[in-house]
This record gives sequence, structure tokens and C-alpha cells, in this order.
Amino acid sequence: MDMKAHAPFLEVEGLAKRFAAKAGRGESLSVIEDLSLSVSEGEFVTVVGPSGSGKSTLLNMLAQIDRPSAGSVRLRGETILGPQSGPLVPGWNCQIGYVTQEDNLLPWRRLEENILFPLRAQGRLDEAARERVAALVELAGLKGFERFYPSELSGGMRKRASLVRTLSYDPPVILMDEPFGALDAQTRMQLHADLLRMWNVKRKTIVFVTHDIAEAIALGDRVLVLSRAPAKVIAEHRVDIPRPRDIDHLVLAPGFAALFDRIRQALI
Amino acid sequence: MRTFDRIAVLVALLAAWHAASLYFGAQWITTPWVTAQAFWRALMRGDLWHHGSYTLSAAVLGFLIGGIPGAGLPFVLRRMHTLRAVLDPYLVAGYGAPKVALTPLFIIWFGIGLASKVALVASVVFFLVFFVTSAGLASVDQKLIAAARVFGADARLIAREIVWPSAAPYVFTGLRIAAPYAIGTAVVGELISSNRGLGYSIQAAATDFDPAGIFVGVVALALVVTGLNAALGLLEARLLSWRPDDKTVERAQAAF
Repeated sequence: MDMKAHAPFLEVEGLAKRFAAKAGRGESLSVIEDLSLSVSEGEFVTVVGPSGSGKSTLLNMLAQIDRPSAGSVRLRGETILGPQSGPLVPGWNCQIGYVTQEDNLLPWRRLEENILFPLRAQGRLDEAARERVAALVELAGLKGFERFYPSELSGGMRKRASLVRTLSYDPPVILMDEPFGALDAQTRMQLHADLLRMWNVKRKTIVFVTHDIAEAIALGDRVLVLSRAPAKVIAEHRVDIPRPRDIDHLVLAPGFAALFDRIRQALI
Repeated sequence: MRTFDRIAVLVALLAAWHAASLYFGAQWITTPWVTAQAFWRALMRGDLWHHGSYTLSAAVLGFLIGGIPGAGLPFVLRRMHTLRAVLDPYLVAGYGAPKVALTPLFIIWFGIGLASKVALVASVVFFLVFFVTSAGLASVDQKLIAAARVFGADARLIAREIVWPSAAPYVFTGLRIAAPYAIGTAVVGELISSNRGLGYSIQAAATDFDPAGIFVGVVALALVVTGLNAALGLLEARLLSWRPDDKTVERAQAAF
């Protein structure tokens, strides 16, 4: 398991999140304790853990929506978050994208306006950007639906749109929090294939959180396994299935079943 | 179909009204037909316009003077949590206090003319719109805001693109709830003390023992409120066109 092949791009060290004791709840609650991980540039890392193991909390802290109780986060060697650092900078100046469980599309905006919203917010919406986004929209199979409101689209299409919205402004790091959790199995597989296809075009650094072991293996270069709360990394497994991967027949890939079983055992 | 059903309900209501009139006596409950005739006469004489325009002026002016700050203030106070918390009990007290009880005070301050009715209407409308708008702001989806901040939206853009569109339906609901109250409150002000307005005309008709005159006033008020509500409904439909109606959702689900 050679983790240090490249210089670490995103590094998390000794991260912790504790919630103070409240009336009627004796002791303080520790969700994450001493969690460390490092991701190299262009790597697709998946994180599996039992539900309630603080996976969303971990990503919220990496996205700087939530402040850690201890520990630090470094991007390209620069400390971007520590417990004592200044005000939170969500998304760290558009360097860290975040695709959440809910699609968080604006219901009052058409698909196209939703997808272009980040670029507009960043004042980067020009002809070239529009063309790039149009290409992404086509790649995601959303062409022809630009003028639709989110409520007029299926769950899978809304997911694609939320993915494209984040890809559109090209953040070097993308966090994903069970983005396909609420979809049916068929749509999920389709979206796995779509995500890998888009990732293949431009290899982003991705931290993808899920409770689904098969999903974690299908997508990741490396699978990190979290313990129950307080969460920390208890195991990591390199996924040796070559890319591009055939999502439809992945279970038949050599090593899949053995890896699945190893991770399953680690989670129990 | 809907129009037909509505006409059927109207016919049933008129029939019940007529039956009540026969049962209790036309001297107590004027028949619909006599009311219609009296309505027509009042309309032709210009009485309805004379009184109605006065009531409508009081209601609309009060609606604007109370409604605009009622809708705007919650947006201003949105991020001033301490100030909001300090003011809260006073606002609740202001909302709960029966404003009709203030009428004598408004008459002392503003006289028996239009101004006292405007003040009364404004005091009612303000609190209604304020609380409904505040509820709308409290309901803004924080996850949308967090997502927007992650991809670089600043506070102004978030206010314009997320907070305002989320709260707008509530603002409209507040205004629509307040509209009939505005008319009703203006009338109450006129009933207490006035020399013009539909409330005054109802009061005058009662003094003359003229139930037809009272019914004419009530019907005129019902028509004004219905018209006002329809106008606000049209405005709302235009501004909130993104909201799915059942038809588009059905169409969308059939398509995928």
C-alpha cells in the first residue's frame, strides 16, 4: 500500500469534532476523533463508514461549513483550516467544491441558470465558460432540458445537474457526500458511469463519502474505512481494478469480491 | 366545470338567503332581489362610489403604509439577531393587542377624517405582514445558502437569489391575508366615527332602520374584497411563475 507515491495535495491531520454537553445529555459527544488522511492530486478517494459515523461532518469541515474542535486541513501544503484560525471560508475561495446529498438546486431557477450560478457568482461567466458548460451539459445527458425547472426533472437529472454545477467552475478538489444515495439502483449505476466518464476528462481530486461498499470500490482509487463514532480511519485499501472501469460488470472483476469482503469485515 | 359549480353554489346561497328572508320576514332580512335593486339604485345615484372610494382609499393607503414596512423590516432585521430578540416581545404584544381598541386614540390624534382610518388599517396590516414575512425568512433552506457560499456567492447575491425568492411567497401570503383585514378595519373605523365610507353608510342605514341599505353595504364590501384578492392573486402568479402547478408536475413525470 504505497500511499506516498505523490506529494499530498489535501491533508487532514488530527481532525476532531466534539459537541458540548447539553442539559439532559450528560457528557459531550465526540463525533470525530484524531482523524488523519491524505489525498494526492487527481486521486479519487472514497470513504466508507457506518451511518452516523460522522462522514457528513467530516466533509462539512473540509468544505469549511463547520469548524473542527481540533486538527488542521492543508491544501498544497498551506494550512487552510485549524481550530484557532480566523473566520471560516466556505469552499476555500472556490478551490473546494461540494456535492451534497441533496441537490440544492434553486427551485425558482431553470436548470441552465442553476448550472451557471457559481460562475455568475464568481464573475467568470463569459462566452468561453458558457461553451465549456454546454459541453459538460451534453456529456451529462442534460442537453435539451436547459429551460426546465428542477421540479420538472427526475431525481437522477437533478443529481447530474448538481454535479455539473460544481464541475462547471473547475474546483481542484471536489467533496461528495453520498450524492447518489436517494436514487434507485439502476439510476445509480448509470450515474456512476457518468461520473467516471466526466472524471476521466478532467482528473479532479475527489473525496467521495458513502455507506455503500460496492459504490466505494467501483469509483475509488483507494477506499478509506471509518470506525463508528468517534470516527477515525481504521483501514485503507487500494483498488486495483484498472480504469476505465466497466461499471455494469464490476462485480465480476478479479479482486472485487475479496475486497468487498475485507471492507465488510472491517466495518463490522 | 368549475365555473358551473361556482354558479351552482351562488344559486344555492341566494336561495338560502331568500328562504331566510321569507322565514324571518323581509323587514329583518331583505330579499336578494330587493337588495339587488337597492344596490343598483345606490350605484346609479353615485352613493356607492362616494362611500366605496372613501373606504377603499383608507384601506389602500393603510395597506401600503403598514404593509411596506411590514414586509421590509423582517429583511432588515434578518441578520440583527440581538435587536430582533430585544424587540420580539413588543412586536408580539403589538400583534396581539386589539387594534380596534386604539380607534378612540387615533380619532383624538388624527380626527374623524381619513387619516384616523388609515392609521388604524396600517397598524393592523403591519403586524400581520411582519409576522408572516418573518416566518418566511425563518423557513429559508440553510442548505441552499451553505451550497451557494461554497461556490463563492457573497451575501448580496445570496439575499437576492436565495433569501428573497424563498420568502416571496410568504410576503404575498401575508399581503393576501392582510387585504381583507385592511377593508374590514377601515369599515370598523368608519362605524365608530365617520361621515363618509361604506361603514358609515351601513351605520346610517341601521339608524334609519333600512336593512336593505345595510345589505347593500355588505355586498359592496364583499365585492371589493373579492376584487382585491383576485388582483393580488394575478400579481402573485406572475411573479412566482416558477412554482410548479399540478399540471406541470404531472407532465414532467409522464415524460421521464
